[in-house]
Formats: sequence, structure tokens, C-alpha cells
Amino acid sequence: MPPVEVMLGADKERAPARPRASWHLRANAIVVAWLGLTVAAALAQGELPAPRWLVVHLFLLGAVSTAILIWSEHFATALLRTRGPDQRASLTRLGALNAATVAVLAGVTVGPWPVAAAGAAAIVGVACWHAVVLARMVKRALPGRFGHVIGWYLAAAGALATGGTLGGLLAAHTGQGGHGVAHARMYAAHTEVNLFGWVTFTVLGTLFTLWPTVLRTRLSEVTRRCSRAALWPSVAGLAVTVAGLLLGWRWVAVAGLAVYAAGVAVALAPLVETLRRRRPHTGASWTLAASGCWLVVALVADLVIVATRGTDGLESALEPLLPLLLAGFVAQVLLGSLMHLLPAVLGGGPARFKENAALLERGWPYRLAAANLGVALLALPLPEPFGLAGWALVLASGAAFVALAAVALLRPRGRMSPAHAGLVAGCLLTAAAVAVAMSGGDTPARHDVAPGGARTVEVTLSGMRVRPATITAAPGTVLTLRVTNTDAQRHDLRLSTGERTPMLAPGATAALTLAPLAEPVDGWCTVAGHRAAGMTLRITPTSATAAAPTAAPGAAAHSGHTGAGLDLGAPMSPGWKPYDPVLPPAPGGGTHEVEIRVKETEQEVAPGVRRTVWTFGGTLPGPTLRGKVGDVFVVTFVNDGTIGHGIDFHAGALAPDGPMRTIDPGQRLTYRFRADRAGAWLYHCSTMPMSHHIAHGMYGAVVIDPPELKKVDREFVLVQGELYLGRPGDAAQAARIRESRPDGWMFNGTAAGYDHAPVTAKAGERVRVWVVAAGPGTGTAFHVVGVRFDTVYKEGAYLLREDQPGGSQVLDLAPAQGGFVEWVFPEAGHYPFVDHAMPRAEAGAHGIFEVRAP
Amino acid sequence: MTWWSVVRFLHVLGAALWVGGQLTVSLIVLPLARRLLDGERRATVLREVGRRFGMFTAAVFLPVQLATGVAIAVHKGVTWASLLQPGYGRVLAAKLLLFGAVMLAAGLHGWASGAGRAGTARALAVASLVGSLGIVLLATALPAT
Repeated sequence: MPPVEVMLGADKERAPARPRASWHLRANAIVVAWLGLTVAAALAQGELPAPRWLVVHLFLLGAVSTAILIWSEHFATALLRTRGPDQRASLTRLGALNAATVAVLAGVTVGPWPVAAAGAAAIVGVACWHAVVLARMVKRALPGRFGHVIGWYLAAAGALATGGTLGGLLAAHTGQGGHGVAHARMYAAHTEVNLFGWVTFTVLGTLFTLWPTVLRTRLSEVTRRCSRAALWPSVAGLAVTVAGLLLGWRWVAVAGLAVYAAGVAVALAPLVETLRRRRPHTGASWTLAASGCWLVVALVADLVIVATRGTDGLESALEPLLPLLLAGFVAQVLLGSLMHLLPAVLGGGPARFKENAALLERGWPYRLAAANLGVALLALPLPEPFGLAGWALVLASGAAFVALAAVALLRPRGRMSPAHAGLVAGCLLTAAAVAVAMSGGDTPARHDVAPGGARTVEVTLSGMRVRPATITAAPGTVLTLRVTNTDAQRHDLRLSTGERTPMLAPGATAALTLAPLAEPVDGWCTVAGHRAAGMTLRITPTSATAAAPTAAPGAAAHSGHTGAGLDLGAPMSPGWKPYDPVLPPAPGGGTHEVEIRVKETEQEVAPGVRRTVWTFGGTLPGPTLRGKVGDVFVVTFVNDGTIGHGIDFHAGALAPDGPMRTIDPGQRLTYRFRADRAGAWLYHCSTMPMSHHIAHGMYGAVVIDPPELKKVDREFVLVQGELYLGRPGDAAQAARIRESRPDGWMFNGTAAGYDHAPVTAKAGERVRVWVVAAGPGTGTAFHVVGVRFDTVYKEGAYLLREDQPGGSQVLDLAPAQGGFVEWVFPEAGHYPFVDHAMPRAEAGAHGIFEVRAP
Repeated sequence: MTWWSVVRFLHVLGAALWVGGQLTVSLIVLPLARRLLDGERRATVLREVGRRFGMFTAAVFLPVQLATGVAIAVHKGVTWASLLQPGYGRVLAAKLLLFGAVMLAAGLHGWASGAGRAGTARALAVASLVGSLGIVLLATALPAT
């Protein structure tokens, strides 16, 4: 019997032949698509959930199982010389298998597990249906020389039903958090029955007839006898193996495997015999021969592993075998078969057949060499770089075939039309651009960890960010961070609890296991400048974020407050002195000569918090200048700092060009202005970026009394400013200044300073407080708890006078505005004064008047 | 409504005219020309349409798009370094790369038409059209301001 007739005889008998070819064509496109996804998933390893599992199942369940379903029906039809199964039913089976595969892939990778279990059940259903269809065909067919080969396909379907059931159980077991011995046994049985049953039985059953066809020789009598004799030992052996693995009986499993191996050896004998009659000469034949060799190697290795390791530790022991079986055996069988079969399926006459065959075989010696060298590298216990090289070789070889097959499939009738070519080119360009656009930003910025014992969180370092930037977990959770550097430069991750990764080269990964979570933990990259640039991580126990700040003891609700990141209730350091808020009356004389020197110094800006400040005259705020309307101020401004500074008095009116210019360290200038208008004025540094200079403390007040200002018992000045922690120029601080997100607010240079050093007065005294809002970004809503203002003077005008019936509760000032308020304390007590924008009060814009009895 | 609205308006208008023009030619003019005109006149009409569209592209579309695009980017504070960062920068970078590719395809289309390579010209025209739609897609992915 001429070999090609075995292959295509059925097609010729049934008319018309075209639909069959086109349906195979479409069906094989699915196989090629799954192969493409496999290659893509293998390349995108780091980005996918359960990457290894996904690659294995995309390949075996997606590509290989689809191919088996298509081709076993096709070969059965051809061998039995009978009517093929109903095409619509075949399509339904194929659709069901693919839908179930998608369900399994989705269910296992992203959950929930019942989706995966349902998918596995559907796969078992498809396997049974497939077996029934094949059995019916055998019954219907006339007795033939090779009818019994269908038995191999039936055995394969039975194996898939078993393996699928085990897979579903595994998914359910894993989904419910199961591990341990039962899991390991089911895993081993699932792996063995699917690879050595579903895949190997189909391959052997097919090779009996396909192999001579590929070699272009005739089917021998040996083949017929061996294919009949080998079936039962193989099936029985595998069944015993699976039972032994599940029950944990090592030697039963080994015995079963031995019987199975003997069966496979018998089955391979005629293939070797054919080989001796006719040397392989095409890419397809060489690829198939290589795959057979890897099957033998894998089988022997498997037998040794099960015999030496027992049934319970197989999960990890079988790992090294997987690349060997998957890439060496299964992938090469699939590729070899497709190389041989696709041209026939694509049809289009002898010329087209030749053209497609030539296309698919293009460069086959290189692809074959690359793939098998790759498999060898993967199989041998070599260091990591060799393993990577192995994968690269195998994947490159696979990708080359996928590309060639895609070209063959995409040009069904002659050349592609220009419009289609343009469409494909445009879509590819757009897809590439979208891929570039979407890259890098997909990791969630926040990761919540469910309460529980131990959790692993994937952390990536790239683009000056740690992703996720915040991790929340229940207290007591033992977190393991799998830290991967996906950037182009080196990074590491160090935690405030002391754990640290080594310096990670691009692509490198390291794991950090933390102690049970109790306190918030900070993490950062230690490479110079990276932490400042934003490479930080914060791990917070859930209750810490939920807990309300504890109120400080104190009668008034206003006295309990906490600033963001500041402990305002903590004591000030010994030796700290508050800025004296008392404002002396204006000195006499019409001209005031003042020298103001810039000093960059360090100062306690909040309880226990010292930081670098830039000041006018060494104090924060700078000295308060006071005079009467019409007075002249002659200010000698000296820059004793390390960078350029300038000064801008709002109280004067002049061209800014000269006096407000920035002078370098060591330089001086004279700033002369006449204060011919009353008010509470701001002065500040005039050097850009002013937000930065003001935020570091370069501001002060000029008080010009309005005419006929009444004398009061006590007069104070309060300049409200913003507090930014961190060192000057640090990027995070600069960002907060830019976005106006201060860490706190201060009256006269210390957050909550007058809580610790209250301002004193006596009951019945008239008090005047001059207020200036320095900013740089926020004003104030000045309020004194327990009193009403009877006089309000804002921005050069009285809003309210003592003799008017009304009262005032707040002096509102925009940044850089000023004014004063007056009132009389009714009785002795503690009167808090605040910025009534409460978040600011609670972050430091807060002080206390301690009022004693007269 | 500021002058920046006008700049953005010009940018969007330019894109609409360029993509809309291509769609009109491909989906309306070309099929009608194939059906209604004989070979000689069809070739003349299509060549003229292509020439006009090319002139419009070079004289109006490209200068307007480049000028307004650069202005908007500068106004938004886009820097060379920020083009590499994930998010806005990378979407913009991808859009610019695709724009470059589409302009290349359009230019090659002009050359292929002139050189009498009808098939190549047609493929390049379709690729340019699809790529232009991709640019619009990426533009919609840029966060609005």
C-alpha cells in the first residue's frame, strides 16, 4: 500500500475534499496559536502568575491536546477507511476542549479554583466523548490490517480522562490550601498518566503508520504485529504505575513503569526497524527520530527517579524531567508531524505542496540542532546560564517554526493581497506601539495581603519605584518578599528591620522573609539617591492604619493632637528656647538701621526634631522690625550662607531690580525703604525657588503701627510658617514643597512650641496679637479658644473696633497677609490658640495662653 | 478657554483631517473610482488625489501637527527623560514612534505610487491608515488635561 494513500485516501474518497482540508487548516491554526502563546508566555516569565505551570499547560493542554484531538480523528478515519465523525460534533468537541482549557488556565492562574475544576471536568467529558466516537468508528469499519491501532487512541483518551480527573482534584486541593503527601502523589500520577498515556499512546499509535510515510517506505508486517502486541502491556503497566503512585507503593509503581517501558520498547522496535531500512532524509523525519530518542531517555530517567526517590518526593524530583519530555519529546513530535502534515493539509496542488513543504523545512538542520542542543543543556545539571541558554535555543527553534507555519497558514490562496499585507503591517505596528505604551505601569501601586500565616508578595524594582509601594498585612503575618530587579540598572532593597537583599543585577531576584509583622516596616533602595528619588516601600500592619490616634491627656478637646509623622506631645530637647513672642513697642526716631545676616543653621522645629533651617539673623522667624508710619528702614543685608539669597520687604515700595536681587555668599547690600503705610508686613527671601527658601525659614515680620494705635497690656507677634522635614534639596522634600504638602505647621518656628512653653498673660488684661502668614503655600485662620476678638485689623484696615457691637472669631490671612486681633481674657485658665483649619492645628499650628489670675 | 485650547484644537483638527482624509479616500473614493471610471481616467484621478493629499500632508498637516504637538508637550512639561517613564511619558513616546512609522509608510507610499509599484503602494497606504488609527487610540490613552 503506497504510504501517501494511507494518509490522504479518506480525503480522496469523500467528496468534496475541500471542506475537510479547510477545516483542518482552521483547526491547525488553533494549534499554532497555542504554540505562539506558549512561546510568548515562556518569554514573559516574570510578568505572569504561576509562570512555569502556565507554560507547561499552554503547551500540553492547549497546543498538544488540540492537535491530538484533530489528528487522532483524522488518522482513525484514514486507517479504518470509514466515514469520519460528524464534522459539527468534531468542531463541538474541539470548541469544548479549548473552552475548558481556557477555564483551567484562568482558574489556576487567577482563580477561583472551581473554574479550574469545572474546566478539568469538561476536559474529562471531551476525552470520554472522543473515546466513544473512536470506538463507534471501529465498530462500524470493516476489519483491516491496522484497525487495532485505534486501540492506542482509545487508551490515550482513557489516560486523559484519568489525568484530567487528577488535575481537577489537584486544582481543588490547591485552591483549598492543600499540600503534603496526597498532593505530591496526585501530582506525580497526573504528570505520568498525561505524559506517558495521553501524549505517548497517541504518538506511538500515530507513528506506526506515520513514520513509514514520513520516510516514504512501506508498512511492514513487523509493525502490524508489534503495534498489536505492545498495546496491552503498555496500558496495564501505566495503570499499575498510576495506582502505585496514588497509593504510595513505590515498588508497585516501579514494576508498572517497567512493564510500561517494555511495552513501549516493543512499540518502538518496528520504528527502529523501519529506520534501518530507510535513512531519514527530511527535517520532519529527523525531528521525529530525535523526539523518539528523548522519549527513551525520559522513560529510563523516570524509572530511575521513581525507584530511587519513592512516591512522595516526586514533585520536585520529576521537575528536571519536564523540559526533557516537553521540549525533547512532545514538542519535537508535534513539530515533526506538523512539518510533514501541514503541506498536505494546506493542499493547493503539487506546486503548492512542494512550496509549503520547502517553506516548513527551511533551515531545519539548524532548528533541529538548536532544539536538541537546548534540550541537552536543560537535561544536564549545569549552572544557571546554561539552563537559560538551553531555553533560548529551544524557544528560538520553536518560534522559528511557529513563524514559518503562520506564514504557510496565512497565505492560503497564492500571495497575500496588498491591502491585507498593509492591514497586517498596520495592526502589528499599532500592537507594538500599544505594547510599548502599556509597559511598565501595570503593577498595582498597592498590595493588600489577606490575614493569614505566611504570604509571598512579588516586589519589583524599576524606574525609581518599588512596586507595590505599600503592602498591608494582618499583624503577625510572616511576609516573604520576592524582590526582582526589572530595571536596567542595579538596585537592592533594604528594610528598616535590618533585612536586605544583595545588590541585584538587572533581572536578578532575591527573597526576604520578615519576622511576624508587628510594626510598620520601611524599605528602600540603598543606591545613592534612589531613596530620595522615590524607591521606597512601606509595609503596614492593618490595625496600625485603622487605629485612631490616641488623644493626649488634657481637659480641652483642642489639646490632643498629632501631626503627620511628628510626635507633638513629646518633650522638647533640653536647652530649647522658644522664640520670644513678646513684641516691644516701636523704638523712637524716624530712621531704623538694622543689619540682617543670613545664617544657615540647625534648629529644633518640632519636639525632638532638628533640621537645617535658613534664617534671617539666626532665628526662625527673622527679627521683627517695628516702626511708625513714615519711618525709614535702612537694612544692611549680608549673605553669610552657602548659596545665593535675597530679601524682599513688603512694607516698602521700590523697584525690585536692585534691592531684591540675589547676592552670593559673602556679599552684602543695603535695602532702604520708607514705611509710609501701616500694617503687619511680611519680609522673605527673594531668591528662586522662593517656595523652597521660605519653606526653609527665610521669613519675618515688619510691624508698622497704624496712627493712634492704643496702648494695650500685652503685645505679641506670631508668624505662622510651614514645616518640611528632610534635608534641603532632597527630592522627596522638594516634591512636597512643590505640591504644598507640609509635614507640619509652626508658630514662630516650632511646631506646637508654645504648647511646651505657654505664652503668659493675666485675666482682665487687654492682649494684642500681630499675626503674619508666611506660607509658602498656606495661610491661616487664627483663632483663640475661649475668647472673642473685639478688634480686628487686617491688611491695613480695621474690620472691627472695640466700640462696635459685633465680635470676631477668626482672623483669616492668605499667604503673606498680616493683621492683628485684640481681646480681654475673661478669667484665669489655659486658652489654646490655633489655626482653625484643624488639620494644620493638629499638625503643629497650636499653642497655649496660660492666663493667671490678676 | 485659553490659547492652549486653540493649540489643542488645531492639533486635534489636524489629526481628524489627516485620518478622515485617508478614510474617505480608502473607503469612498477608491471603490467608487474602481466602479465608475475606466482604467486610464481612474489612474489619473487617483494619482491626482494622492498628489493633493501628499501636498496637504507636507504643507499643512505635518507643520501644524509638529508645531502644536511640540508646544503642547513643552506646556505640559514633558522632558526627554520623562518620555521613558511608564505612564504618560511612555504612551507619548509610543505615539511618537508610531507617528514616525506612519509618516515613513506615507512617504514610501508616495514613492511607490510614483515608481509604479501599485501593490506596494496599496499595502503602504493601508498600513499608514491603520497606524493612524493606532495613533488616535494612543492619543485617547493620554490622560486629558
